[in-house]
Amino acid sequence: MKQSMHIFTTNKKKKERMSRQNLIKNTLLTIAVLTLATILAILFFYLGKNTTSVAIIYILAVVFIARYTEGYAPGIIASFIGVICVNYVFTYPFMKFNFTMDGYPVTFMGMIIISSLISTMTSHLKQQNKIIQEREKLLMEAEKETMRANLLRAISHDLRTPLTGIIGTCSTYLDTESTLSKKDQSDLIRNIYEDANWLLNMVENLLTITRIRTNDTPIHKTSELLEEVVSEAVQRLRKRIPGVDIHIQIPDDFIMIPMDATLIEQVLINLMENAYYHGASDKPILLEVSVVDHSACFKVKDQGKGIPEDKLSTIFEGSPSTPNHSGDSRKGMGIGLTICRTIITAHGGEIHAGNYENGAELTFCLPIEEEIIHES
Amino acid sequence: MNLKPTIIVIEDEKSICNFIETTLTAHNYKVITASTGQEGLSCITSCFPDLVLLDLGLPDIDGIEVVKQVRSWSMIPIIVISARTQEQEKVLALDTGCDDYITKPFGTSELLARIRTALRHQQHLTGNGMINTEPIYSYDDLTIDFSKRLVTLAGQEIHLTQIEYKLVSLLAKNGGRVLTYDYIINHIWGPYADNNNNQILRVNMAHIRRKLEKNPAEPNYIFTEIGVGYRMRESQQ
Repeated sequence: MKQSMHIFTTNKKKKERMSRQNLIKNTLLTIAVLTLATILAILFFYLGKNTTSVAIIYILAVVFIARYTEGYAPGIIASFIGVICVNYVFTYPFMKFNFTMDGYPVTFMGMIIISSLISTMTSHLKQQNKIIQEREKLLMEAEKETMRANLLRAISHDLRTPLTGIIGTCSTYLDTESTLSKKDQSDLIRNIYEDANWLLNMVENLLTITRIRTNDTPIHKTSELLEEVVSEAVQRLRKRIPGVDIHIQIPDDFIMIPMDATLIEQVLINLMENAYYHGASDKPILLEVSVVDHSACFKVKDQGKGIPEDKLSTIFEGSPSTPNHSGDSRKGMGIGLTICRTIITAHGGEIHAGNYENGAELTFCLPIEEEIIHES
Repeated sequence: MNLKPTIIVIEDEKSICNFIETTLTAHNYKVITASTGQEGLSCITSCFPDLVLLDLGLPDIDGIEVVKQVRSWSMIPIIVISARTQEQEKVLALDTGCDDYITKPFGTSELLARIRTALRHQQHLTGNGMINTEPIYSYDDLTIDFSKRLVTLAGQEIHLTQIEYKLVSLLAKNGGRVLTYDYIINHIWGPYADNNNNQILRVNMAHIRRKLEKNPAEPNYIFTEIGVGYRMRESQQ
């Protein structure tokens, strides 16, 4: 209760401070514009002896004030001051008020009406802009929320399957330990090991997401040497899948790429792992890097059956809604590729999926540094 | 039986602790476990172990603090166990004086290899703190003769610049261990070198890689640990 009161008062204080700031800003602006108008009016008046242009200058001043201040008051006050100035200073009899001269009431009324109209219109516009912005923000948040929900669904789905496997294998082992042959036992344990490893990669993927999405700050990029990133990624993948056969081809030049190396390694690992599991081929996976127009393009190709055409368009969406008719629901491609895209987009790069003559081909490009460092 | 090396494991996760203890006991080490930093420190002072395995995320005190306290009076090898996302802490721990690190999750063979390396380097350390290494490094096709300053790859002499040779020999003498960027820069370019700019080190490493490795993207001798430093294979002798 006390706390909410406190919040309330601080809010009020904040509002008060805001309005005082606004007031000061409005007053200063009004004074500045009016002074400028008066100077111009004096110039025109003494050079051209033309009172019509004086009135127009004041109308212009009022329009500007109404446009760039908040609320109706400054515009109306400015128009009053303008009317008074025109009447008092610039029209006959000079330095005297005279509201009875022909036509002047019309001019004055006109000025007041114009300024009020403009103030109302601009305030309206400003308010509407604010409403539109708020609505857009809400929409974006809702979109984020659905994305998060989809992701969570995909994750839970992807996590459940290997966990069920692990639990099942463990209970089989515990129940039938005495009757199982040595080979069966080690097979079961190997299954658990594989599933657990897969889970770990999943969790690491999730961690990378939090790294990107924690507080909407841009990712922390440092200059990394291409070959070092590639070699570490391959090394980590080999640690997890010892039998994997990868052919690497990178340019011989010294290429520095600004990136968050942990994230890009994760992308490379995800792509190579996908190629390994989904390519389902004994032929080696190809990892090729080339430099095209100030960007480094990484291609991960498998030599398997390729990606079905109907899946190509949604492959990065990570929707678990696509029925797993293939049966290998365990190694769902979804989340891994979604994360890849998130990471690459955050780096200002692009990622594409496609097929080439021998199988599937995933390409991503990262912008690189222009300067090429020579031996010092 | 007293010849078994003693290892203190400071780790708060019971299951990880158990797994390490089982593995190490099976490989002929004497294992003492501690679940908090304080307990670990008192264990180290009372048992004087041959090696310490230290988890960085302890419930009571920061793992770095443990490294500092131990280093204030002893050169016992310390291997830090860390999670993948803790690069900064890893580097800090290494620069504070721990000998090596291992990233969770790790396999048994990896853990045992790290322990063997650390223990061996400890034995090379003679009384006056100087490193007393073998006169020759060799792994696969690569041979380095430190006395002749000669580097050969499959019998062919490799021409390295002064700096490149210094780098390779520093890494080779510390084979199997990770050396941080700062450590290497301090040893090659001196303590007044610009530590914040490791570009020059990486350029030199890239040149070395092109001279030693068949495919720089698939190194066989010198490995990069991005954000941390470099690790060269241990000599096969």
